[in-house]
Amino acid sequence: MSDPAPPIGEEELHAHIDGQLEPERQPAVVRYLQDHPDIARQVAAWRAQREALRATFASVAAEPIPPRLGLERLVQQRLDRRWLPWRTAAAVMLAFGLGGAGGWFLRGGQQQTAALTLLAQQAVANHMVYTADLRRPTELGAQQRDDLARWVSNRLNHQVAPPDLSADGFSYMGGRLAATPDGPAGLFMYDGPQGVRLTVFVLPLHSAPTLPIQHIDYAHINGCAWIDKNIGYTVVGKLPLPELRRLAEVVKRQYDGAT
Amino acid sequence: MIVSGTLTRIEACIPALRRYAAALLRNREDADDLVHDCLVRALDKLHTRRDDADVRAWLFAIMHNLFISQLRRAKARPAGEPLDETHEAAMSMRPDQENSLQWRDLIRGLNALPVEQRTVILLVSVEDLSYAEAANVLGIPVGTVMSRLARGRERLRQLTEEGEETRPVLRRVK
Repeated sequence: MSDPAPPIGEEELHAHIDGQLEPERQPAVVRYLQDHPDIARQVAAWRAQREALRATFASVAAEPIPPRLGLERLVQQRLDRRWLPWRTAAAVMLAFGLGGAGGWFLRGGQQQTAALTLLAQQAVANHMVYTADLRRPTELGAQQRDDLARWVSNRLNHQVAPPDLSADGFSYMGGRLAATPDGPAGLFMYDGPQGVRLTVFVLPLHSAPTLPIQHIDYAHINGCAWIDKNIGYTVVGKLPLPELRRLAEVVKRQYDGAT
Repeated sequence: MIVSGTLTRIEACIPALRRYAAALLRNREDADDLVHDCLVRALDKLHTRRDDADVRAWLFAIMHNLFISQLRRAKARPAGEPLDETHEAAMSMRPDQENSLQWRDLIRGLNALPVEQRTVILLVSVEDLSYAEAANVLGIPVGTVMSRLARGRERLRQLTEEGEETRPVLRRVK
């Protein structure tokens, strides 16, 4: 019987060794090796070489992973950096995704940093997106203040109204519901001296620790943040830090008084 | 959430990344440094991933690129690396006396191979990557993977057998 199949190439011999040969070529390769003992010896040597290499390095993969290569630790190191570039947003979401899935690595003080990081990142992101929107920076304007308060409170499952900053020279423009990986948030916008835009951002967090007002510094935008009764608050705007802090204290007093 | 799933998959790949790095670099400390840099880079790039497909090949590709740039930097420095018997990962695994000389020839031969052949052999033989995955990791066509594999394995076989021929007496005496 003549052989209509193409001749066996060296590459097929290796594919045979590596278990990557197309199944329909298998019988032809086996037959070829039976007919060519010298080639079969060579293939056996390659196969032995493959097995020896696997055996040599197998022990490395069986070792416990050294602490400095623990992913948990590497992610923590990223979250611990005070200055977070935008791209670590992914790591933050991951922190929360896993935290919810059974506390894979959120433990102790780390939870604090992660919650604050999420809060800061989302507050600044929404600040940048909506203050830059000249045509429709808010969903509901100043005259629908009560409607917005009701809407946001319903969605956040938490009573929250836009704070009044008129005594500090910031007039309320309106607000909206904002989206975050951790659920809906309320965003309230204010128009200050020289057209500076200030936003107050309110985000319910899951089992977050209480934190006093602190400075957040994210993507070159300053803000103040605090966490109270599992609700995260921020005040964000292009203002000097002491001024921001003072406004944050005003907002916090109003919210403290309301609850 | 995609990201948390990816993290779990990355974690599952760490033993294999360490094995590959240890096979490439001989010095275990250097090898783990490479894995460390690879993981840091992967976390940097996590946000660019659209889906969870083929995390392993993605990680190996990151590590390969780091390894290659490391080699380039090393070339600028005078090389002081001894060529044989300093392979720590391999040294940790001491086969029985009968095989140890053959095995030493194998490791010596592996280290003597051009880097292009060594990487392909390790990715395919030890890490069980498909030819297509190895091509992906190394940024070369599949055909090139296969020809490097064939040349590398044959060269390694010759190197190993040359080693044997130079010490026939030792082998017999045992």
